[in-house]
Amino acid sequence: MRITYLGRKGQINLVTERLKNVGQEERKVLGRLVNDTKTALEYALRTRQQELHHVSKKEWFDPTVPGIMPQIGHLHLVTQAIDEIAGIFEKIGFVRVRYPEVEWDWFAFEALNMPKDHPARDEWETFFVDASPSPKYGNMVLTPHTSSGQVREMERVKTPPIRMINIAKCYRRQSDNTHAPMFHQFEGLVIDEGINITHLKGTIDYFAKQFYDSGRDHGPTAVSRIRPFHFMFTEPSFEVDFSCVHCEGRGCRFCKSGWHEVGGAGMVHPNVLKAGGIDPKKYSGFAFGWGVERAQLLKPGIELDDLRTLYSTDLRYLKQF
Amino acid sequence: MDILIPDNWLRIYLKTKAKPEDLQKYLSLCGPSMERIHKGKTGPVYAIEITTNRVDSASVYGIAREAAAILPQFKIAAELQPIQINSAQKLAKKVDYLEAEVDPNLCKRFTCILVKSVKITPSPKWMQERLEDVGLRPINNVVDITNFLMHELGQPLHTFDYDKIKSAKMILRASLKGENITTLDGKKHILPGGDIVIEDGSGKLIDLAGIMGGNASAIDENTQNVLLFVQHYNPLAIRHTSMKLAHRTKATALFERDLDPENVIPTIRRGIDLLVELAQGKPEEKILDIYPKPYKEKKVSVPVDFINSRLGIKVTTQEVVSILHTLGFICHSGERTRLQNQTDPGQARMTKQTSQDDIVIADIPSYRANDVSIPEDIVEEVARIYGYHNLPSQIMAGALPQSLPQSPFEFEQKVKQTLLALGGIEVYTLSLVSKDETPTNSLKLKNPLGADSEYLRQSLVPSLKYVVGNNTREKDPYHIFEMANVYTPKKGDLPKEKMLLVGMFSQDFPYRKAKGVVEALLKELRVQALPKLKRLEDENLWYYEYETRALQKEAALSPSHQPIPKYPSQVEDMTIILPNGTYLGEVIQKIIKVNPQIKSVDLANTYQDTQTLRIEYQHPEKTLTDREVAFLRNKVIKLLTSLSASIK
Repeated sequence: MRITYLGRKGQINLVTERLKNVGQEERKVLGRLVNDTKTALEYALRTRQQELHHVSKKEWFDPTVPGIMPQIGHLHLVTQAIDEIAGIFEKIGFVRVRYPEVEWDWFAFEALNMPKDHPARDEWETFFVDASPSPKYGNMVLTPHTSSGQVREMERVKTPPIRMINIAKCYRRQSDNTHAPMFHQFEGLVIDEGINITHLKGTIDYFAKQFYDSGRDHGPTAVSRIRPFHFMFTEPSFEVDFSCVHCEGRGCRFCKSGWHEVGGAGMVHPNVLKAGGIDPKKYSGFAFGWGVERAQLLKPGIELDDLRTLYSTDLRYLKQF
Repeated sequence: MDILIPDNWLRIYLKTKAKPEDLQKYLSLCGPSMERIHKGKTGPVYAIEITTNRVDSASVYGIAREAAAILPQFKIAAELQPIQINSAQKLAKKVDYLEAEVDPNLCKRFTCILVKSVKITPSPKWMQERLEDVGLRPINNVVDITNFLMHELGQPLHTFDYDKIKSAKMILRASLKGENITTLDGKKHILPGGDIVIEDGSGKLIDLAGIMGGNASAIDENTQNVLLFVQHYNPLAIRHTSMKLAHRTKATALFERDLDPENVIPTIRRGIDLLVELAQGKPEEKILDIYPKPYKEKKVSVPVDFINSRLGIKVTTQEVVSILHTLGFICHSGERTRLQNQTDPGQARMTKQTSQDDIVIADIPSYRANDVSIPEDIVEEVARIYGYHNLPSQIMAGALPQSLPQSPFEFEQKVKQTLLALGGIEVYTLSLVSKDETPTNSLKLKNPLGADSEYLRQSLVPSLKYVVGNNTREKDPYHIFEMANVYTPKKGDLPKEKMLLVGMFSQDFPYRKAKGVVEALLKELRVQALPKLKRLEDENLWYYEYETRALQKEAALSPSHQPIPKYPSQVEDMTIILPNGTYLGEVIQKIIKVNPQIKSVDLANTYQDTQTLRIEYQHPEKTLTDREVAFLRNKVIKLLTSLSASIK
């Protein structure tokens, strides 16, 4: 086609040759027409040529080939839990704080209404540090619970309102399926005028729903309950249960009763408020302290028979999270 | 303290049609936590957790008392049955069968009675089965009676072979350090001192009171005359001895929680009855009862509006009184305003007489005297029986507290998130390490779990090195990190707790990539600092170590904006060979300092001993001409020549 129409002796050139023989006015019109025809033909040919060229070059492409992943990191499950817990409480105005992990007996026990030699102390298998005791604060211990931060927070803030969330390492002299010598707790402390048990219940419920239900598609189902318990530093004291997320509280192999114990709570004892320099006649408060690991292990998908497995440093384990 | 309570034993004191499952459910909601029900020889057996303040419920009768208060709240009828007692012996301060000298600081109440001509036989089947259901081994009728009653009434008892107390004399006193006694189990104890002991008047110890009886005065198959012994001991002394000797029994657990001295008499009378019934014993006519300071009724008064302020709801005075009544508290209620008005009768007509002004004065039963002392304790009793599950939930209103100044948490989270994006794997390792892993001045534990966790660490490096050593099978290069406190000792004070960030790279992790991770981290944190990698020579491991607080101080709070240059830059590569021993990093820094128009110098490539540098020239206000670039280039070449580098 190119030679027939666009070649040196092709049709277009022949017509152009013959233009000499027509009048000036007609030549103008016909010339434009010939030019347009030539351009259109050239374009059509080029396009077709390119198309043919392309089809012949197109190779077999396999989109199912595996991708090359960039190296991705892994945050520890405990970090993930801590970040989530902190975020949940910060949304309702709690302030995250940090207090010593190596602490005086006074903050860990005495100020919490637990005098020396009190049998209640047996519940805390405490590590003692081989250091000379403070004349004012007694022995040096590894803090066995985040409650040690309660009186420190009262001393820091001085005048309520207090909404504290203290998440920290704790240590107890124990090691079995459900206990590791080093673990993490999160402690809430709320002090203000007119704080009562319904506020504690509301806060616990809010946490349960946020922590166990967020991202589920059928709306909140997690519920909490409080039952009588005893701690020296709260009165009344409670044990806190969350409904089982596996069976939604109906009772299953995992939970037996439909409920899981997560930890303690209570209304701050007036002696503790006094120890922190806060007037118990004017203010009241509640506190709770639970295990980070325990709370995290109750989430679906992480069924560990041994809590200590959480602290494995085997990369094959760590890379799962 | 965990106890076992057989259902059929409980029902002797609790008249109810409640099913075992109901009992478990409702008691757990309002009282002691019934953890499990298992099947025993006598039927269902409850495993119950007793909190340290409620030693009064650590018995069959105590649980029946709780259940009788709780079940009616769930519309299940329940009635506490009285303890059946036949014994009518008189209580006497002196008896002719025993001369006793008692230190009242160690023993608040001392009671005993001689029961003669007992027949030692196995106890009846019903008693043996109940004992077995609560985990006790039946021995003989006399010993079993004491165990049985301790479980039923929560008060430990002891028996002596009366004929082995030669002088019929007892002196109850504190032991001296180093005194010794051989107990029932044949063990000889050297006493720490301050323990409650009983000697027979000749200086010989016959009982380690509240802990274990002495071997020399023990009941055996030939015993005929039994001295039945029920006391209230000083809880601190009992605790001291049982801890020092590491001898913990059910009896010590009860005694150290300060038992009710009023429960001693029903217990000894039940003991007499059972010794008569099951061992054909013949009791004396008088019970020796040395009780110099009898229990005085304790009262706690609490305004009803105080209870409501803690509950967050309104309960009436009548509800408060009726709940307390079911728990055995006798209440006197009155209106506070009326009490106040007695001194000012003229005001009476003007004061509103609402239930908010009511005050409840409760007589505390002796068995709750240690536990209930302040208005908050009354709040707990009312609230739990009313039912925590019946209270509403709401999040508190009120002002929000101020945020923490220089809060470290957001920064630490950002560090971790950045390392996550850069491929780091976070580990948590134990802060307690062995002697070899930490400097000699590190803090030491008095009671470590083992030698591998005896010291508080001052560095994270040994722990991470250990993790690398445990992951030798890992095929690909990796980067681990940890953020944790280390503990630097301070004289006469708590240690300084420093939050450290340490990361370590596996041996096969390319050095330039490792360094790039740290560079990227610092860049993302907006920290102006040169990256620092340190090396463990022996293991050929590279690591970085930062104090997060220090990094946070260096970090710019918010990103700063630089306008994009209006004029294009010129980029060119220059390949050089540096003499041995010349640090490329220093050379690059020197090139940058040659002229402000040299905007950046990067290492584009390395091949054998050649390094290709990519140099970017830029002027902020114009496009550099070829001549101007040539001028700059010559300055760079001059510098490089002066450093003996050859340029290709």
